[in-house]
This record gives sequence, structure tokens and C-alpha cells, in this order.
Amino acid sequence: MAFPSSPRWTGQAGLILALVALGGALSLATPNFLTVPNLINLVRQISINGILAVGVTLVLLTGGVDLSLGSLVALSGVAAAHLAQAPGAVAFPALLGMATGAACGALSGLVVTRGGVAPFVVTLGMMTVARGLALVLSGGRPVSNLNPQFTRLGGGDVAGIPLPVLVLAAVAVIAHVFLRHLRFGRYIYAVGGNEKAARASGVDVHGVKLFAYTLCGALAGLAGVVLAARITTGQPNAGVGYELDAIAAAVIGGASLAGGAGGIGGTVLGALLMGVINNGLDLLNVSSYYQQIVKGLIIVGAVWLDRGKEK
Amino acid sequence: MNRPIVLAASGLTKDFPGVRALDGVSFEVRQGEVHALAGANGAGKSTLMRILSGAERPDAGEILMHGRPVRFRSPHDALRAGVAMMHQELQPFPAMSVAENIAMGREPARGPLGWLDKAAMRRQARDLLKRLEAGIEPDRIMGTLTAAEMQTVEIAKALAWDSRVLIMDEPTSAISSREAEALFRIIGELAGRGVAVVYISHKMDEIFRLAARITVLRDGRRVATRPAAELNPESLIALMVGRELSAPQAGGQPPTGELALEVRELRQAGAFEGVSFSIRRGEILGMAGLMGAGRTAVGCALAGIEPASAGEIRVSGSPVRIRNPRDAIACGIAWVSEDRKGFGIVPRLGVKENITLASLRRFCYGPVIRRREEEQAAAAQAQALSIKTAGLDRPVQTLSGGNQQKVVLARGLLAEPQILILDEPTRGIDVAAKAEIHGLIRRLAGGGRAVLLISSETEELLALSHRILVMRQGRISGELEAQGAAAAQILRLAMPD
Amino acid sequence: MKKSCAALAVALVLASCGSRTAPGGAKQMVIGVSLLNLSSEFIVMLNRAMEDKARQLGVRLIVNDAQRSAERQVQQVESFIAQRVDAIILNPCEVEASSPAVDKALAAGIPIVNVNSETRSTPTAFVGSRDEESARLAMDYIARRLNGRGNVVMMHGFMGQAAQLKRDQGAREVLAKYPGLKLLAEQTAEWDRAKAIALMENWLQSHGAAIHAVFAQNDEMAMGAVLALEQARRKDKVIVAGVDAIADALRAVRDGRLDATVFQDAAGQGAGAVETAVKILKKEPYEKQLYLPFQLVTRENVSQYLK
Repeated sequence: MAFPSSPRWTGQAGLILALVALGGALSLATPNFLTVPNLINLVRQISINGILAVGVTLVLLTGGVDLSLGSLVALSGVAAAHLAQAPGAVAFPALLGMATGAACGALSGLVVTRGGVAPFVVTLGMMTVARGLALVLSGGRPVSNLNPQFTRLGGGDVAGIPLPVLVLAAVAVIAHVFLRHLRFGRYIYAVGGNEKAARASGVDVHGVKLFAYTLCGALAGLAGVVLAARITTGQPNAGVGYELDAIAAAVIGGASLAGGAGGIGGTVLGALLMGVINNGLDLLNVSSYYQQIVKGLIIVGAVWLDRGKEK
Repeated sequence: MNRPIVLAASGLTKDFPGVRALDGVSFEVRQGEVHALAGANGAGKSTLMRILSGAERPDAGEILMHGRPVRFRSPHDALRAGVAMMHQELQPFPAMSVAENIAMGREPARGPLGWLDKAAMRRQARDLLKRLEAGIEPDRIMGTLTAAEMQTVEIAKALAWDSRVLIMDEPTSAISSREAEALFRIIGELAGRGVAVVYISHKMDEIFRLAARITVLRDGRRVATRPAAELNPESLIALMVGRELSAPQAGGQPPTGELALEVRELRQAGAFEGVSFSIRRGEILGMAGLMGAGRTAVGCALAGIEPASAGEIRVSGSPVRIRNPRDAIACGIAWVSEDRKGFGIVPRLGVKENITLASLRRFCYGPVIRRREEEQAAAAQAQALSIKTAGLDRPVQTLSGGNQQKVVLARGLLAEPQILILDEPTRGIDVAAKAEIHGLIRRLAGGGRAVLLISSETEELLALSHRILVMRQGRISGELEAQGAAAAQILRLAMPD
Repeated sequence: MKKSCAALAVALVLASCGSRTAPGGAKQMVIGVSLLNLSSEFIVMLNRAMEDKARQLGVRLIVNDAQRSAERQVQQVESFIAQRVDAIILNPCEVEASSPAVDKALAAGIPIVNVNSETRSTPTAFVGSRDEESARLAMDYIARRLNGRGNVVMMHGFMGQAAQLKRDQGAREVLAKYPGLKLLAEQTAEWDRAKAIALMENWLQSHGAAIHAVFAQNDEMAMGAVLALEQARRKDKVIVAGVDAIADALRAVRDGRLDATVFQDAAGQGAGAVETAVKILKKEPYEKQLYLPFQLVTRENVSQYLK
């Protein structure tokens, strides 16, 4: 498991091994896997899940969970899309999308901390409320006609690297530095590791949790903006089930559902692993029924390998 | 007398990442014998007992029960074979009742479906608890009990299995002397009935009172096994530590510095009331009392964990309000809890991170942590308290219980408090480290700090404190000058009339 | 005093919600409607047409959203039966699983009209389009554009849903007719645009220049395919056709990004369903099966459909 001061890669050795093994197997099975265009596709395809996974890692670290991510993606996508219909608007829609997500995250965080309600229940409620809001805001129909500068955020690239990937990279680096080198990041680990001990050490437990939920919501908002740009519409029924993929990526990467363990590096690796599986199975034209089964087995296998090396 | 050997182990070896906990240890205990196991923190006592009770498997060596080799694959195996263990670190089921906890694993059931006989469970729990003279109702929820009450229930649980070998790991560390007396009586009864008792403890008086033989472990090896009659506390300590230790100094002159902490009419509904006292700079105020008298609650109130509902607190003459731990830390109050798992360590964070957690701001430049300074400060603390660890980056949960306690203490000290509240600071800590910590406490007081020392060990209180307050049933029942006071006086003030 | 006034007001409001009399004194007809999923643009249009027609004819609609769950749909119909509605309009979620709803309505003597999709049980009347026809139109278009030879990939909707099954059937009929057409790959993208983008990207990796055309069983997926192709700069070499004629797709056809889509007359189906239900209740003659034709939309005629 990744705690702040551990040597960087030993905690994820099993995961890296699984990734390399899987990649190796796929490159032997099909010549199309290990090509630059495909690898670029791959990282672009995991960008949105990656951003969500980074956000949910923060919440998982505090010992909580956020099931509303998919709905937040839809809601912020719809909100951003409304503004993105105006020609040339990029920053405002993006900021509105993130703010929407942050507001919902903050609300969830408030109910969890001040209200003392279990995060599972609170975010489950937010999941349905946010989805309803998305439908209301959009009238049930996708919001289209987005200006090309905005959609470039989802479909464009810089020096061959897709923009969503750059967004993910920036988010991951910032989050990683935050957790490891900033005092507040340390407090997040402390609150998740032993809330009573953190409180006794003078940590503002409620403040830390609230921050984690808000930031997670903001990142979900960002993911929603990127998704809306990519599919060139704000879709009220986008993102269904995205929260489970995000949590899966984080948990594969070493985050504990009990809190106090996990890290951004592991989460990104987890998202990569899931992306490789999806990409590989599509390349091999495996029927979607079998895809589900294989995906589940590989994920459990990767985690088993990783945890086994811990002992 | 050569009673038959019930449980024997030979050549036991066990490795954990980075450390060899046991190195070729042999150990045997006879029928009806009370055999004490002594050794410093990290010497391997707990590991040995965990192997003998089935909780761990040895990397090498074998175990014989009644002369036949056995292999325990789980504690349940060991329990069924007749070896019961009462752990130092309590492992209750907090959501279940006391009776259910006691019956765990051997619930009385009727019929082929296993219908639980709850009345029988309750009856058995009541009988066992009565024998231990503990006033605990079998229907109470385990999670609501204090640490001491939980330990009493653990004893009852171990007794319930009617085992041939009973292993007790620091059983009196969190219970009152009255309950301890009851326990000793029961141990005597059990031994009389042929049960072998392995008794692990740091307390010299208990070891010499109960044990027929003593085995000493040091650094994972068995150093000696002798009849208790051939040893005395000094020679035993010498074997444990490998060298002679000087006796602890008695408390010095009563200090006359200014008042660091004043408490008036402090009250917390249901826990304590009318508590008033003061501590001067450089003074160590001891706090004695039976379990449940309210000492920890007073400590928690001053630390902001469970704020008092009424009363006045002054720090260095100025009135303060302590509503949460941050307020307390801001006033310069540091608190080291007795419950290190609960309030103490963050298990998966490193030793370094745990030590600096309460004073992290000091090592930050704005929001960014200055790693090198943090490392230096933590290393200094670790050395000052002789914290044994494979590295400051290791997760603190890999340390032994006593070393974990030292980490919590280090954390409190690093915040450079003016007032230090220590609640059972040397519980579960070996003799050598205890002497070091006592020395440290004296130095801290000598350097101008005020110390509130809550402890159940009368010798500790008498040796360190300048004055001793005694609490009884939520109120202060008396105050003594430590010099010239006797343990009997303290006990009298502590006992309810 | 205030409280009892408020209570009285609430009671009056609730009472007035109960039964309403139509202008003219005769009791108003009440039709219960259970829709597949109101977060689908197509169904939203269907619903709007129904409500317009209902207002025109003076009937009252109670509209429920089954949110893609056949189980919930059955519950909603049971609830309509308990409320003793005059007729039920059902927009089925699934062929098999929504059939109990039809059976229960018929058993209770309440006429039930299926709209847009079929169930195994036969309702009093059916108003819709033949989904196979939509796929046939799209596939035919592709075949003609390719002159009868080429490789096609097909994106499916949710496997097992009536629309997916029928459109699959229609597509395969056309493929059988043209031996020069080869189905290179097929996979579900679950009616979802984002999933379709990823699928198309991966297909481009596997098959690259071998793909000549894409048939997506709905427009959302077709748009996804278009976006992926545009990004890979291969759109000019690949023909894409979808079904539904949603606003986005129509605009794309006009702009030359999407080659063809198939217009499903949502308005016609919705209005037709309500009309048929009213005819049944008034004991007038009605058509047991009313099929509205699909229409192929290409650049030539797209202006007709753009509003």
C-alpha cells in the first residue's frame, strides 16, 4: 500500500508486473496493440476515468466514498454545454462545470461531516439528485451545438498528445504533490488512518473531509467538461456507472476502502490497467459478453497479485 | 515435584520483515504450574505466546502437547486442543453483548440447526463474571465498556474454555487492584486444579507473587529459566536487560514556580464534578484512583477530546476555553492517551509521520512540508525515547506495542507543550524503557513544564510526583504530599466507603 | 386558525385533483402512459406528441417513466389498473419482460395500445414502425453507395432490446442480398455516444483502411463513429449511417459529416397512439396495427426535417 514516505515503486510492483505482462500478451496476440496511434488512443480513452479516479482517491483516503461521480459528470457536462453554445467560450463553461461539481461535492461533504450520515448513503442520494438536476437542466435532450474551441478540449491535441491526456497528467501531478508534500495532504492520510488520533493531534477532521469531497466533486466536474467536449454534447444521461470504474481503478491501485492507504501513482496505474483490458479486448474483437467476464477476472487477479506481494 | 509437562516447544524461530522475533526458543510449562515469562519490549514474549496459542505459525521448530506433536492452524485449533490465550491487545466484538463475546466460538446451541441458547449464554457469563468479582452486566454492549472492563471480560472468556493451558499477556495492565486480587485468587484456583498458567508481565510484584518458575527472553532468545525462589527483582531485571539498572530516584523538592494550570469546579455530566486543582511550573502532579473514578475523563476534558460542561480553566493565569483538541494544543497542553490504538497511532502512516502529526505546522513553509527538518526532528525524538524500529519510514503498526506507545509520547512531546497530561504513559513498556521515560518526565518538569501524571501504578506515582491527587467516583477525595506518603493511604482514599 | 385554513386549502386542492369533468359535462377520459425512458430524445418527442394530441382531443394523460426497467413498467401498469384508468398506452421496455403488463391490462378489461416497440403478448392495438425497415433503409443506402461491394462494421444497441433485435434483423437481410458486402466486425456500444467513440477508435486500430462503412443502430452511436473518424482524418473514406434523425444527426447530415439517418416519425407514432386509444374507447373502428413508414434522410432531403 502506498503511504507517503514509502519508496516510490515497491508498493505498486505487483501492479506494474501485471500491466507489463498484460501488455506483453496483447502485443503478441495482435500487432495493432503496440503501435503509437493505439497507445495514444488508449491513454485518451482512460483520461476521463483517470480524472475521476484521482478525485475519488482523495475521498477514499479519508475513509469515505463517493457514488455520485457519474451523475456529477452528466450535470456538469450539461451545465458547461449550455455556456459552450456561445461562440468562443471555453474558460467559462469549463469553470462552470467544475464549480457545479465542486458545489455538489461540498454539499455531500457537509452532510457527511456535520450531519454525520454515512458517505455511502449521502453520495447515493446525491447520485440521484444530480441526475435529476441534469435532466431538468437539459429538458431530457442532449445540449448540442457547442463551439469548436470548446470541443477541441476533448478532441484536440498538442504536439500529438491528446488534450484530455494532458489534463489528466496535470491533475495527477498536482494531486500527487499535494498528498505528499503539503501539510493538508498529510492530514488526509491521518484522518483516514485513524480519525480519533488525528483529532487528538489537533487536525480539523471535518475540514479535511469537506475539502476532500469538494475537490473530488470539482474533478468530477472537470471530467464532465472534458466528456462533453469529447462527445460534442452535454448529455443528461452520460456517465452512468462511471463512479464504479473510478473506484475500481483506485482500489486496484492500492487505495483501501477503509481509508488511510493509497496514492495517485497507484490510481493512475489502476486506470491504465483497466484501459489496457478494454482496449485489448476490443482489438481482439472479443464479444462484449465475454469482455465483462474477462475484465472482472483480470481485475481481481491484478489486485491479488499486488496484495500478495505486500505480505 | 515433577509434574508432567503439558505444553512444550523447542527450536521455535519466527521472522518478520526486517527482524527475527524468535531465535531457536525452547519453552515448557508443567501441569498446575504458574510460569512467568519476562523480558524487555520486543524481546519476543508476545510472539512466542501467539505461536503457542495458534495465532501465528513458526518458521521453524515444533510444539508438543502432552508429549504429542501438534500443529495449530488457527487459534480455534489451539483452543480446542486446550490452549487459551488472553491477549494484551484486546480484540472484542464491540457491537455484540458481553455474554456473546464470552461465548464466542462455543455458543451453547440446541438442535441440529444450532439454535442459540441465549439464556445459557447469559447464565454462564454471569457466573464467570461473578467469580472475577466484576460488576458487569452480561447484556451490556461490549463497545460501551472501558478498556479495563473489556479486559475483565477477556479473562472471563479465556476461563470459559476450560483449558489445560491458559496464557495471560499483561492481564492486569488496565484493571484495578481489587480486580487484580480476584484474578490472582482465580489463578491460584486454576493452578490447584491442574491448569498450567503462563503469565507475561512487567510487574515485579506480580511475577514474584504468582510464579513458580520464570523464563527470561532477551532479543528473541531464551536467556534463562529458573525457579522464582532463586531470583529477586534486581537479578531478574539484570537478566532481562543484560546489565544492572540503578533504582529510580524519588521526587525532589516541591517546586515553587508560578501556576501553569488552574482548574476550578470542573464538571462533566456523568463523569466528574467539583474538580479543582492546580499545577505549578516544574511540578509533577500525580492522579491516583480506581478504574472508572474519572481520571481519564478529566485528562480528556483538559485535552479537548471531550470538553467539560462547566468549570473554569486557566493556563498561566489567563482563562481559556477548551472545546476541541486544537484549542488545547494552542494552549500548550499535550495529551498522551492510555488507549494508543484509539487515540494514538495512525497505523499505516510511518513512524516519522506519526511523531510529527501534532506539530506539523512547525515543519512547514506555508502549506509545504519541509521533509528534511521533519526527518531530523522525528529522528531526535525517536532517539531520545529509544524507539526501536527498522526505520522511521516503516508504518507504525509494525512496531511492538510498547514502542507504539513511545511514538505517541514522542508526538505529544514534539509539540513542545507547557503542560503535559500523561495517562498511563508506561503501560506495557518494559522496565528499562520505563526508567528512561521516568527520567525524561523528571527532566521535562525540571525544565519548567507542568505534568499531570495519571497512573494506576502506585510506585510510579510515588516515585515521580511531587503531590498526588486521589479521585474517587468522579470527585477528588484527597491530596497527599508524595514524600512520606504510602501506597496504603492512596488506596484508602481511592476506595469507595 | 391559520393551520386549519391551510389544511382546508390542501384538502380542496387534493379533492379537485381527483376527477375532472371535461367541458360539456361528460366525464373526461383518462389514459395511463408508461414510457420506456424519458432521458432519450426520441421518447421525449413521442411524449410531447402524445400530450399535444391529448390536449386536442380533451383527454387526460397520466405519464410515467419506467426508466428502462421492465419490472417498474409492470408496476406502473398495475397501478393504472388500480386507478381504473380508461385505457393504457404502453411504450415497452422489453419484448418478453414487459408482456405481463399487457396481459394484466387485458385481464382487467382495460384496452392497451403498444407504441413504438412490440411485446410478445398481443395488445388491443399497435402503433409504431417496423424497426427492421429502418435498418433495411440504412443498409440499402450503404450498399448502393458502395456499389454492392465492401466491408461494413455494425454498432449494436443494448443487446436484447426489441429495437436492437429488429434492426439487427433488418441489417442482416440486406447483407444477405448483397454477397459483395462483408460484415467485418460488430459490437455493442449500448446506444451510447462515448462508448461508440472508443469502439470506433479501437476498430480503426484493428482494421484500419479495411472499413468502408459503418452502420450504427442509432444516431448517438453514429455520431460517436463520426467523431472518431474525423479525429483520425478518415471520415472522407468511410460512409456512416444511423437511425432516429435526432437534431444533432440532422445537422450533421446537412453539414456533410453524417451520410444518412433514418427518420422515425415520433410525432406520428405518439399522436397515432392517442388517437387509436380514443377510437377504441368511443367504440369507433380502428386499425389493429398501424405502421408508420420510416424515411431515409440524406443531404438531398434533410432540409425537410430540420426545424
